[in-house]
Amino acid sequence: MKISVSQYAAALFDLVADKSEKEVTAIIKSFVSVLDKNHDFNKTEAIITSFNEIWNKANSEVDATLSSARELSATTRETVTNYLKHKTGAKKIILETEINPKIIGGFVLRYGSKVLDGSLRNSLNSLKNKISN
Amino acid sequence: MSTTKDFIVAQLKEEISGFKAEVSEKSVGKVLKVSDGIALVSGLAEAMMSEILTFKTEKGEITGVALNLEESQVGVIILGDYTAIKEGDEVVATKRILEVPVGENMIGRVVNPLGEPMDGKGKIETTKFYPVEKIAPGVITRASVKEPVQTGIKAIDAMIPIGRGQRELIIGDRQLGKTAIAIDTIINQKGQNMKCVYVAIGQKESKVANIVTKLTEAGAMDYTTVVLAGASTPASLLYIAPYAGCAMAEYFLDKGEDVLIIYDDLSKHAVSYREISLLLRRPPGREAYPGDVFYLHSRLLERACKLNKEYGGGSITALPIIETQAGDLSAYIPTNVISITDGQIFLEPDLFYKGNRPAVNAGLSVSRVGSSAQIKAMKKVAGKMRLEAAQYRELAAFAQFGSDLDPETKKKLERGQRLYEIFKQDQYQPLPVSKQVVAYYALINGLMDNVPVERVKEFEAGLYKYADLNDAVLKLIEEKKELDEEVETGLKKLIGDYKVTVDYLIK
Repeated sequence: MKISVSQYAAALFDLVADKSEKEVTAIIKSFVSVLDKNHDFNKTEAIITSFNEIWNKANSEVDATLSSARELSATTRETVTNYLKHKTGAKKIILETEINPKIIGGFVLRYGSKVLDGSLRNSLNSLKNKISN
Repeated sequence: MSTTKDFIVAQLKEEISGFKAEVSEKSVGKVLKVSDGIALVSGLAEAMMSEILTFKTEKGEITGVALNLEESQVGVIILGDYTAIKEGDEVVATKRILEVPVGENMIGRVVNPLGEPMDGKGKIETTKFYPVEKIAPGVITRASVKEPVQTGIKAIDAMIPIGRGQRELIIGDRQLGKTAIAIDTIINQKGQNMKCVYVAIGQKESKVANIVTKLTEAGAMDYTTVVLAGASTPASLLYIAPYAGCAMAEYFLDKGEDVLIIYDDLSKHAVSYREISLLLRRPPGREAYPGDVFYLHSRLLERACKLNKEYGGGSITALPIIETQAGDLSAYIPTNVISITDGQIFLEPDLFYKGNRPAVNAGLSVSRVGSSAQIKAMKKVAGKMRLEAAQYRELAAFAQFGSDLDPETKKKLERGQRLYEIFKQDQYQPLPVSKQVVAYYALINGLMDNVPVERVKEFEAGLYKYADLNDAVLKLIEEKKELDEEVETGLKKLIGDYKVTVDYLIK
């Protein structure tokens, strides 16, 4: 019987819900041996991604990435987190920041399958398009 | 000089300072797999059916249309060159359902299914966009078909008349003159208050170039738009071409105008849809066509209609073309489209090679609108013509027994032979309805009975020339559109006078 990635991830989620750390380690060990038995090791990456999605949905958490050209202050990160909490109604926001000089200025915020592009690079591109038309 | 420079610089500064960068939230996804013009995209949970998606590649932005909405991915057909897209590329949802630019500026141009110009005559300025897919007008908004579309082809206008708002299928094997009928119809719409759209689906670009040249020569490009999806365009563009053409026609329909749209041809359209469906892994049915191939054509052809006065009174007349293989009318796609349209014009190879061109088979061809789409004059002279033509064909087998038949049958044969001679018509020579009425009047009233069969064409051509020189009768027919006493007397006199000038009549 073929087991899909989402089925694996859902099963793993059900197994580790409300378990202590020691129990979780044991569960992961047996989970991996099941994967081995079904020759499904190649699905591991996809299972991890799917598991993240299921976890976030269940615990109302949102993963977000904030790219900026320079280091952002703690207050800025706080504002973004609050904005996301308000927008998505999630209880917890896991905000990752990264520095990307290519965007020149401003920021690019990615969360879920949405993108909020407030970068200077984007503004310059739209200005260029507007003037050249 | 410096004032202009200062002015330009000042304008530029104003433009830049007044520019507000808009930051809006966009839905993005990632390309999982791309092959053969189809891309599978992850993310984009809120993608809509037929939504335009933009692929951000190194070579710029490429558009695609979402066609398969699955649980964890979206199947997208790519409207353009798919080789530039790589796995992992970003895909942005535009929140716009597939739409094409429409407007008056489309007239006289050759465009691709996305509305981009293909004739090298510069950019097309449009303000309006119409959705490519649209639900056809409902029953309440429609009116019955009453006005004629004059094709200018004698055989069709007499026996299989087409009305404004009708769908008439042109069906036959390859190289029998299907496109020729369509082009002659477009050329004859000059001065008939009709806009035309010619959608070329999968045709050779050289053939379409010839067609555009002929149309330009005849002055038809003043009211025609050509939508070109040539043989080498990707299947996705072939698939949307007829719908895009129909959207452009609907712009004029909404303004209360009459439009003629020709789909050349829908067989290639079905093949391109089959290609897309199989690549999207949709299950194949009969002849490997997907299960909804009927819906593919029915939703297209139902958009051709006649609207009632409340909704503008405009109309779209559709002439779809289907190519059959070896005359097989009972194949899958031909039977589908025959059941959708309001009649068909069936072209036969036998008639074609015997010299009867246009090779219209009077028996199998039908127009379900019929004589309500003919002017009264034509109705009077051509009333029983279709039946007579079909009967003649059945009797023609006995023609070899010429002298052994009773006079009644012989008369029918003679009349039928002359009828078929009159039906022969050269390409690019559409005939105005007034001249057709003159010829048919002469025929059915026995005025051509003493013209030898092999000289009927000559007689007819001479008759038209004569009618042009003494054009009072022609003008009368065009004005009154019916055969009252005055017109009939005029016709009798005209034909009588002409016959006097002719020296080859049988005594």
